Amino acid sequence: MLHDELSHFAQAIVHGHMPSPRIRQAYADYSAETALGVYRNNYRGNLHDALAGAYPVIKQLVGDDFFRFLARQYIEQHPSRSANLHHFGLELAGFIATFEPAKELVYLPDVAALEWACHVAYFADDGDVLDLNALAQVPPERYPDLVLHTHPSCHVVRSHYPIAAIWHAHQPGASEDFHIDLDGGPGYALVSRKDDIVQVSELTEAEAVWLQGIQAGARLGDATVTTLEHYPDFDLQATLLKLVAQNTLANFNLEKTP
Amino acid sequence: MNGPATNTLPSAAGIGLRAPHYREVLDTLPALGWVEVHSENFFGGGAPLHTLFRVREHYPVSLHGVGLGLASVTPLDAGHLSALARLCADVQPAAVSEHLCWSAADGMVINDLLPFPYTREALDHVARRVDQVQERLQRQLLVENLSSYLSFSRSEMTEGEFLAELTKRTGCGILFDVENLYVNARNLGVDADAFIKAIPAAAVKEYHLAGYSMRDGCLVDTHDHPIYPEVWDLYESVLRHIGPRPTLIEWDTDIPELAVLMGEAAKARQRLEAVEECHAA
Repeated sequence: MLHDELSHFAQAIVHGHMPSPRIRQAYADYSAETALGVYRNNYRGNLHDALAGAYPVIKQLVGDDFFRFLARQYIEQHPSRSANLHHFGLELAGFIATFEPAKELVYLPDVAALEWACHVAYFADDGDVLDLNALAQVPPERYPDLVLHTHPSCHVVRSHYPIAAIWHAHQPGASEDFHIDLDGGPGYALVSRKDDIVQVSELTEAEAVWLQGIQAGARLGDATVTTLEHYPDFDLQATLLKLVAQNTLANFNLEKTP
Repeated sequence: MNGPATNTLPSAAGIGLRAPHYREVLDTLPALGWVEVHSENFFGGGAPLHTLFRVREHYPVSLHGVGLGLASVTPLDAGHLSALARLCADVQPAAVSEHLCWSAADGMVINDLLPFPYTREALDHVARRVDQVQERLQRQLLVENLSSYLSFSRSEMTEGEFLAELTKRTGCGILFDVENLYVNARNLGVDADAFIKAIPAAAVKEYHLAGYSMRDGCLVDTHDHPIYPEVWDLYESVLRHIGPRPTLIEWDTDIPELAVLMGEAAKARQRLEAVEECHAA
């Protein structure tokens, strides 16, 4: 039966089992084992390349050889589940967090989480562009009732480490002369996409908390009051300018005051 | 089944357009008959789709899928097919193609193009799935012959006979990859002339050309070399027997300068034009 035949073949590729005896053994210029080796290599190679494509900074941080080693272990534990290779690598941050050989690179899991957010942002749907004219027509007394919607690519990644700075230091063309203070306190990386460019910037803790409220659907007034309670220095106007510049806000509506 | 959307690729040479060349192609708009992209790279929209829309303004676009798994023994992936249908609706491609292969079984997904035994059971299975895809996309699907490194003792027909029967049953077209046939002839001893005679010329809508590499005596379809003279020879023979068709240069690994691809496309165009003159005479 076709099903059994292909299942056998898949086990031979993924798990290294013996192939079905119905696979022809003799070829003019090579052995069946050689051919199976090509398929096994393709399987791992394609998944390795997909990971390397989604995680270029991790690859730079650990080097090509270590990355290949890490990828091989990851593929064993998290085999592909999708025909679309862009889905592969979702669990890498969690995997690295438990990956003993990388445990000294304490910031690595969070950098991986940031890279996955960038990968997802790259493929995220387009959002509406914030209509600044319409926003300007909202009377100031209604500002507290504004509900702001974020762009589908917008995502905040929290870390104990300055992951946005690490990410920027490993982009093409970045200066090789950089200093990153790992003990500088927690970092919040804002990811979004404008046209076809994924952008990463740093948020303050207050900005991140405020944006989290907005993303949860809070009205502008409520989110701002809550944020100011904990962060009296929170600057709403500066935050809004920053988010608009990074194409993070997509649209808005007005909710009635409850 | 011939769906409402028909294949409108020009009988000219095109290239497989990959990310390293997006910018240069859009900036310089080189003289290319058409371009082909991998469908999955544009699933989910986002930045890649922006680029594809701009490309589409200047060139006919063919969508070439690598993940649908027409012969996979798992149910046709509804999410994957939906994403493809959405992409087709957005892009209005000049052609849509997939491979005669499988990639999933028993919960295992192998992101590769795998061969299967050419049996009547497999033919029923693949034909049903091609019907499903064409129904969903409302258009003819082109199905590409595969390059293989292994074959099955249980096969009841050749790949050429399988494809001929598949087109008869489903109305699908054939994407004839000339390099894949060459690889199979060398690796598996497939009779290239018999393959060319087995498939109905009228169903062939597109050709592919690429370079392979060699691993321990096995030719591997790596798309990382210029097209070898032997493959050009086979292409010329195919052109004489089947006639001129839209022809694509594929290069997917160690992708060279755009000029190198343009050079390969020019070689294909010369051969296409030569055979078109013969046909006209």
